[in-house]
Amino acid sequence: MNTLAHWVEAPIAKALGWTLIHFVWEGVLIAALLAAVLALRGTASARFRYVLACVAMLAMPAAFGVTLARLWQSPAGVARAPGNARRPGGAVLSLSQAPAVPAQPAMASLAKPGPESPVAWVVPFWMLGVFAFHVRMLGGWVAAQRLRRVGVCRAPDAWQRRFQGLGERLCLTRPVALLESCLGEVPVVIGLLRPVVLVPVGMLAGLPVEQVEWILIHELAHIRRHDYLVNLLQSFIEGLLFYHPSVWWVSEVIRAERENCCDDVVVAVNGDARGYAAALAALEAHRGPVPEPALAATGGSLMRRIRRLLQQPEGPRAEGLRATLAPLFMAGILLVSVVAALSAWQTKPVPASGAARPAAAPATLETPRQAAPQAAQQETEPAAGDAQNSDDQTGDQSSSTATQSGNGTKQAPEKLKLLAQQIAQPRSFQPEIETPYRKWLNEDVAYIITDEERAAFKRLTTDPELERFIEQFWLRRDPTPGTAENEFKEEHYRRIAYANDHFASNDLPGWKTDRGRIYISYGPPDEKDSHPAGGTYQRPTEQGGGTTSVFPFEQWRYRYIKGMGNDVTIEFVDSTMSGEYRMTMDPSDKDALPYVRGAAPAVATTDKLFHVGVSRTTGMATITVPLFAVSGQRPLNIYGTITTLGGRIVTRFEETSYEESGLQDAVFQKSFPLAAGSYSIEVTVSANGVAPMIWNKAFEVK
Amino acid sequence: MPEKPETPPRPTDGELEILTVLWSRGPSTVREVHEAITRRKPAQYTTVLKLLQIMADKGLVRRNAEMRAHVYQASRPKEWTQRQLAGDLLQRAFGGSAKSLIVGALAARKTTREELAEVRQLLDEYEKGTK
Repeated sequence: MNTLAHWVEAPIAKALGWTLIHFVWEGVLIAALLAAVLALRGTASARFRYVLACVAMLAMPAAFGVTLARLWQSPAGVARAPGNARRPGGAVLSLSQAPAVPAQPAMASLAKPGPESPVAWVVPFWMLGVFAFHVRMLGGWVAAQRLRRVGVCRAPDAWQRRFQGLGERLCLTRPVALLESCLGEVPVVIGLLRPVVLVPVGMLAGLPVEQVEWILIHELAHIRRHDYLVNLLQSFIEGLLFYHPSVWWVSEVIRAERENCCDDVVVAVNGDARGYAAALAALEAHRGPVPEPALAATGGSLMRRIRRLLQQPEGPRAEGLRATLAPLFMAGILLVSVVAALSAWQTKPVPASGAARPAAAPATLETPRQAAPQAAQQETEPAAGDAQNSDDQTGDQSSSTATQSGNGTKQAPEKLKLLAQQIAQPRSFQPEIETPYRKWLNEDVAYIITDEERAAFKRLTTDPELERFIEQFWLRRDPTPGTAENEFKEEHYRRIAYANDHFASNDLPGWKTDRGRIYISYGPPDEKDSHPAGGTYQRPTEQGGGTTSVFPFEQWRYRYIKGMGNDVTIEFVDSTMSGEYRMTMDPSDKDALPYVRGAAPAVATTDKLFHVGVSRTTGMATITVPLFAVSGQRPLNIYGTITTLGGRIVTRFEETSYEESGLQDAVFQKSFPLAAGSYSIEVTVSANGVAPMIWNKAFEVK
Repeated sequence: MPEKPETPPRPTDGELEILTVLWSRGPSTVREVHEAITRRKPAQYTTVLKLLQIMADKGLVRRNAEMRAHVYQASRPKEWTQRQLAGDLLQRAFGGSAKSLIVGALAARKTTREELAEVRQLLDEYEKGTK
């Protein structure tokens, strides 16, 4: 406490304390100026309002800094400051906006001027607040960064290309990734240097394409305007001057106008304000119902934005020389007045209000000519009130315009109802497409239709549209357009027929089997190695060599498959002996020996280090997993299952090993009591950053 | 198959990524999931396969028995998982702050049903007005 008391007596603390108190009226002044200008120029463009609000926001810390610098450099200023504090103190009380806490020391200091004024005691509390706000901001930043890493996947290629195209249309130089997130509920932009656009999973497929595009344009506009950076700075200033409501108000203005600016960009690109407004409403509806109604008590910002969007094409905007000069003029006045007020107040208290008056003049008030200290306070107060009034007026105007437009001719209610339903309902609730077309989509072209085409097809409703789509679908793929034959289509249906003839199993039509799928997708293989009877098989050396007994299997070799590379070998195994060959990625899947009683375990193991020992006396099976063979970071996750020959899972276990990675003999051991019989065990050891190791083995308990 | 656990455990980060793909693409084969993931970062096919198998055991995904083999789908809607993850400490402490840091087309606060209805009415009235 003593050190704190000692520190508080330092000149910097006193200067800070007084700066904090002076900022109370400075903040009010800046906010009042902003409110006045915004109210006067109610029809100004969103950009103008945004720039103005940003200037006001920057003026806040600037005023704070200038005040602090002046107070600190002239220690006399600190001593004399109490004499000047009458006005800010009064302003606080009359406006009753700012917290009363800083006002109290100010008033106290009036009675007791001197170097040990208690004003400096405000400083530790302020610092605590700044610290808390900035810690919260840092935490939020970390949470936001996490949001772009966790639970995301890249949007499908078709959307990725479309997204790049939109970026080029907005003249974006940086590449932006489009990710789908399962955690976010609304589309957002995250990131400063490598920004990403996160959209909630399901939005891309759930909304009409053009609506999604408009919303993506909105997000790209945020990136082009560097809104993420501005928002960070803004949050920083909020944290620094957290105690002043004016700062939060100005910040709120910036946030609202920022969205308006991006809305304007979208309308400028697509030219359809009504459609975009509907897209916003659809997006909001897509988000689902609100769980807590208490939060939503305040007026909706979405409503305001949609009102604004709808009014834009009607209300003629006075964009002229005056409008272009106005921002500069206003911003200039704002800055000059703040600086002038500051310097004048510091040196000569009396002309200070005179200097401040031109700044308040745009509010068109009758300014009293006396340069009394109270004048400034009276000016700011009605100015703020006036701003409030004009705000209300604009609100009234907008609502009256809206009702006017509503009183127009009432036509085509059917179509509107349909439209409203479309907006109201997520796409998934739409009735399914008629059967022949659904069959076409889900059977005929199931393997070759792209995600984008599928989405487009699902949006079509009428038969002629669907017919046309199918026609176009084949036309796009015709290798020889212009001729009557479509070789692609013929070959495709030939493949389906072939698959149905050759690959059908007991319970699946040929096209639905794995072999059918590969055949239809990639055509006949370049080489085919068929072992329809299974039996003895000479294992290739790279798989361990030796002889083994296998299920019926086929190996198909393709010299090249687009997207998969050269020399692709696909193996199909009929492990159920039902005629249905299943695609497998593990060459050991065809091994039949693990399932043959007594033939285990020598051939079934894929790694000698992995060991299963069975005690003859107790029947306990002990597995030994060589953890030292697993590279990658610790801890390791060990997951295993023991199954009977019939595939029934007897037991499963999941464990975490914290063994150091350097240990040469680190192993994992676990024992299981098992009834007599044949089993197979599979153990997966996974580590961060590397592929998991998988061991499997068949063994027998006698 | 043995019975699935009543409520699947909270998915890990890796599992969440696969779930995201499944929610985004709908029921998918392992190859499709793998392809979607490698667009963003390198990943082994077997890793994805194994993860999916583990997730199936945990009850997070279902193997679609009616269709071909190797087709997986998420067993729970994403809203359910979102609720599960809402308990995440980082989210709980700083979720609000994060929302004010990121910029997006809609406000962090959801709009009520009534407001939404009002918005729709406004849009309809506007449409009538211009006709």
